[in-house]
Amino acid sequence: MQLVLTVNGMTYEVEARPTARLLDVLRDQFGLTGTKEGCAEGECGACTVIVDGKAVNSCVMLAVQARGKEILTVEGLAQEGELDVLQQKFVEYGAVQCGYCTPGMLMSAKALLMGNPVPSEQDIRIALAGNLCRCTGYTTIVAAVKAASGQVATPLMELPAAPEELAAEVVTDPATLAAACEIVEAETGAPVGVPCLPGDDADADPFGGPGPGSSGSRVTPEGGE
Amino acid sequence: MSQTQVLTPEGIDELVAALARATPRTRLLAGGTDLVRELRRPGDEPDVLVDLTGLTELAAVRRDGATLRVGALATFTQLQWDPLVREHALCLSLAAAQLGSAQIRNAGTIGGNIANASACADGATALTALGADVVTLDGAGETRTRPIGEVLLGAGRTSLRHDEAIIEYAFPALGSEHRSAFAKIGSRTAVSVARLSAALVVRFDAVAGVLAEVRVALGAVGESAFLVPELERALEGRAADDESARLFAEGCVAAVQASIPGRYSLPYKEQAAVGLAYDAWNMLALSAPSEPAWA
Repeated sequence: MQLVLTVNGMTYEVEARPTARLLDVLRDQFGLTGTKEGCAEGECGACTVIVDGKAVNSCVMLAVQARGKEILTVEGLAQEGELDVLQQKFVEYGAVQCGYCTPGMLMSAKALLMGNPVPSEQDIRIALAGNLCRCTGYTTIVAAVKAASGQVATPLMELPAAPEELAAEVVTDPATLAAACEIVEAETGAPVGVPCLPGDDADADPFGGPGPGSSGSRVTPEGGE
Repeated sequence: MSQTQVLTPEGIDELVAALARATPRTRLLAGGTDLVRELRRPGDEPDVLVDLTGLTELAAVRRDGATLRVGALATFTQLQWDPLVREHALCLSLAAAQLGSAQIRNAGTIGGNIANASACADGATALTALGADVVTLDGAGETRTRPIGEVLLGAGRTSLRHDEAIIEYAFPALGSEHRSAFAKIGSRTAVSVARLSAALVVRFDAVAGVLAEVRVALGAVGESAFLVPELERALEGRAADDESARLFAEGCVAAVQASIPGRYSLPYKEQAAVGLAYDAWNMLALSAPSEPAWA
């Protein structure tokens, strides 16, 4: 059937199967694959889009139900090449791990902020309750949404911003290390092996790169460097 | 291939015309949060799908003298915040606020909640306690009004004919003497399907200091939400004190036991009913909070 849909500010006429879901039309006909299919039952929120200002699960809504309405997908958040402040804060706060839930999270959070520009933490948790994330534990996501609304938000953990700071804490003096081993042995009763000292080839990292704690690309927002 | 024809009525006349074409295989689509999942089951395609989305006049809540009229297409988000619902049917607002996720509340409608007839429909518990009548419209353009208890026949079963659409609910608007509450128990705080729900509506006579009228509905225990008349009568005329709270909790437990005798979930639900009853009771805020004996 012929449908007129307004997606991310542009109005289109599309020929869609009568029972096509909004999710199907967005992904398969508009190529807007930022919207994900997770459970396909309205439980996980990965398919969340905003229709007339309200977050909905596009997997349990037919496209025909969205006719004549304003549909906003994750692709519509960035304006003129600039990420939406929510997206920026998700990056800064490490609110993205595998990323599959992220578009849905962003759209639920966006709908919240559109109606409630300064939400409490409880408001944020209620708004995001229909979005499942199996990676982050949610704390960073809630903090990112809070930060995007201009409120002070505490990051999950304070990581040293610069690799030099870490380097300064590495003890290489053999006498100090031996003393430290004795203390550990005395307290635990377990023998401690010979400490692996950084030698001449200290730069040859067997794991192929800096660990997560020493990465300079990890930004610590507010109160970091 | 989908053979389904989708009709999109934009007004009452067009709705009647669409319903006139309905067959037993026809489905009515409101919010879609339950039906769209069903539509994807192969081999079960409807011949005609009537999309009610365009009937915006059926989404209104209005006061009609002493009656509150809630449009079938009102979403749960709407019911959660609607000032008339909060003033005259607080338990319905509370039920809407606790139902599903924000996404489900934004799309799901109170019409679909009853037509779908899930045994754990929170809207059914609240509307049952409010004594709601269901107003329907059919393919001949006839409207019918009947009590919600005559519409809900069991889990997934209603007395709605295939050409009959729920258009609104009507019930006495609660006044300043009334208090109402809704509480439910699920597996987690949010986005939780009720394992047990209770709605309580009371008229409190402040002069005599007694509960003048009581309506108690339980849901998600048995096939449809139901009233507990013997408990209502036992509470009427009593003070709103700890003893009444205890009586209320005992009555809820007895109703749960009578509704699902021998069911595997009974040992859990008869315990849970106590906490649930006290939650609902304390929400009425008629006296200082009461606690169950073991708390």
